[in-house]
Amino acid sequence: MSAFQNGAAPSRAVDDDSDVEEEALAADYREQVQYEGMEELEQVNSMSLAQQTDDIQSRLAAAAQPLDFSAPLETKFASYDNYCSLFHFILNSEGPVDLEPPSYYWAWDVIDEFIYQFNSFCSYRNRVARQANNDEEIQILREAPNTWGCYSVLNVLYSLIQRSQINEQLAAVKRNEEPMAVAGDYGSKSLYRMLGYFSIIGLLRVHCLLGDFSLALKTLDDIELNKKAMFARVMAAHFTTYYYVGFSYMMMRRYADAIRMFSHILIYVSRTKNFQKNAQYDSISKKNDQMYALIAICVAFHPTRLDDTIHTALREKYGDQLLKLQRGGPESLPIFEELFRSACPKFISPTPPDFDNPELNVDPLEHHLSIFMDEVKTNMWSPTVKSYLRLYTTMDLKKLAGFLEVEPEKLRGWLLVNKQRSRQIRWTDNGLLDGEVVTSSDLDYAMQGDLIHISEAKVGRKLVDWYLRNLARTY
Amino acid sequence: MGIAFDSTAERPPHIDVILNGLDRYNPESTQIFEEYVSQQCEGRTHDIYANLALLKLYQFNPHLTKDEVITNVLVKALTVFPSPDFSLALHLLPPHILTPISASSALPAAGDAPLSEAVQKLNVLNNLLGQASYSAFWSTLDSDDLYADLIADVSGFEELIRIRIALTISQTVREIERSVLESWLGMQGESFEKFVSGVCGWAMSGSVIKVPLNKENEAKGTIVRENVKMEQFSRVIRRAYEQTA
Repeated sequence: MSAFQNGAAPSRAVDDDSDVEEEALAADYREQVQYEGMEELEQVNSMSLAQQTDDIQSRLAAAAQPLDFSAPLETKFASYDNYCSLFHFILNSEGPVDLEPPSYYWAWDVIDEFIYQFNSFCSYRNRVARQANNDEEIQILREAPNTWGCYSVLNVLYSLIQRSQINEQLAAVKRNEEPMAVAGDYGSKSLYRMLGYFSIIGLLRVHCLLGDFSLALKTLDDIELNKKAMFARVMAAHFTTYYYVGFSYMMMRRYADAIRMFSHILIYVSRTKNFQKNAQYDSISKKNDQMYALIAICVAFHPTRLDDTIHTALREKYGDQLLKLQRGGPESLPIFEELFRSACPKFISPTPPDFDNPELNVDPLEHHLSIFMDEVKTNMWSPTVKSYLRLYTTMDLKKLAGFLEVEPEKLRGWLLVNKQRSRQIRWTDNGLLDGEVVTSSDLDYAMQGDLIHISEAKVGRKLVDWYLRNLARTY
Repeated sequence: MGIAFDSTAERPPHIDVILNGLDRYNPESTQIFEEYVSQQCEGRTHDIYANLALLKLYQFNPHLTKDEVITNVLVKALTVFPSPDFSLALHLLPPHILTPISASSALPAAGDAPLSEAVQKLNVLNNLLGQASYSAFWSTLDSDDLYADLIADVSGFEELIRIRIALTISQTVREIERSVLESWLGMQGESFEKFVSGVCGWAMSGSVIKVPLNKENEAKGTIVRENVKMEQFSRVIRRAYEQTA
């Protein structure tokens, strides 16, 4: 424990990989812990009987402490061992352990920090292998392939979920039944219930980091995304959940669903920012900006009307970029790439890198980016095609190809692509992976030989809002 | 019509059990999933959710990886374009798989160059299909013997692709020149006529193929009307009550 705490420097470097929004809660929380810690010290001297419980309490507290980004390898190893023994104690003692978590946020903090350290360890290991200039560290890492291994991390998360019967409990809540009836010895204790619950969110995150976007969404089957959900009570958890769900949707090309997720949480943040402590809000703002970048990408793929608050903020933050994205064509490619790089999670590769062939250890980000960019390239002519079609009700294909200075055959392809991509799966109810195919574009067309028939879905005048506003004004 | 990503009608019960339990991470499940993949290849079914679970097992246990199973999964995913299945499978492959071969073959020990070469070739096909460059797809497919090897295990590959192409065409097209359609479907003459009238059910008159009207290729203009719900007026109505009271 001592090594671990020594490594826990008060703050991380500003430009590190951390998910900054968790920092705030942690900083806030650290003050409490330090305060309590001092009290404990005094108590220990007077009451040696209480020593044992104090010890486990401080271990609990330590597990939720952020580890310094630049901590040396030994500290990272020690931290891993600490987590192992702590989770072993919680999961494999005889019967449920009787522990009071140090704070309401503790369960979230500990899972969050556990995954953060897993994430940064894997990235670090990959980087060491890629640079291949630190023989000492390579040797240490080579000898410990199972430290922070993906199987042990997943094992912890799944064990916490199973022990607490949290999925059964959530399913019972969904059926309007009493969750305690299925909770069992462990799950009826709040410590286990909370750890189990946040482990589900943790799994969402780990799967997403590993590039398994469909399984990430599948993991949340039993959690209903609404304001009553347990995660909504912990801001960082709320925020993290929506970020990863939205991102997974985007990678599954379900842009409408992704926009819905990002909009929800961004509106929530903008509405509550006045109530939140300043320090906390500052640290959320990095992830906040990332989500605006992702919204910009999704809107470029799937033009739609955004909420006014979001729209204004988006124009402020990414106005120029959004314009270029929406124009499409080859000029938009670097912008897509730039925004994706700045806003994606820190992808990891689950297995130890190949230390003997540094060149084979490509940063997983590059891999996912290149797959994503292929999809961008497939779509990049859609905005151009649409902007022309909007002007006509019928159009000759060869004439349009002449305007655009492309081969008619190419244009036929673009028309097919745009039509395919305007059909999207959108969530209606049940699991996050379910959905129905809907038409997402207001522009529709069909080809009769070389003649393109174009039609538009026009939105009728919306009178109700106007009517209600005036009613409210007059009485 | 709901679309379920994580279930198919044809999935055998024992696969379903593995997928819903922790055995989906058990290296011993690998073989069962592999057999299921070859079953899909022969039976012309497709279960991406199970195949992704197999790729995940490979991701966690690289020593179990079987190259030809990976390529079979990818080839199967091609047959359901334009769904994102192919990309989702790519995301689970090792990160170096898409680095240009010229760069990696210069390495002394690029052990799995054949796999990355195959994956990149298939990725080319995927992009051509995604971009609706169908005639380029067929000529690329014919241009290299490696492709013939890759698709050999997947029964009816060309027909499955043709059906998918026909499907995307029917979304957009009411009438199409025979020569264009021939190049898109990669076939001519009698087999072309058989496919168009037999499988697709489209009518041929002279050099023009007519695709019957469907919901997608109608392109009818609509006016979206406002959907007014009683609840929107609840405040006004409540106000009215409060005022009189």
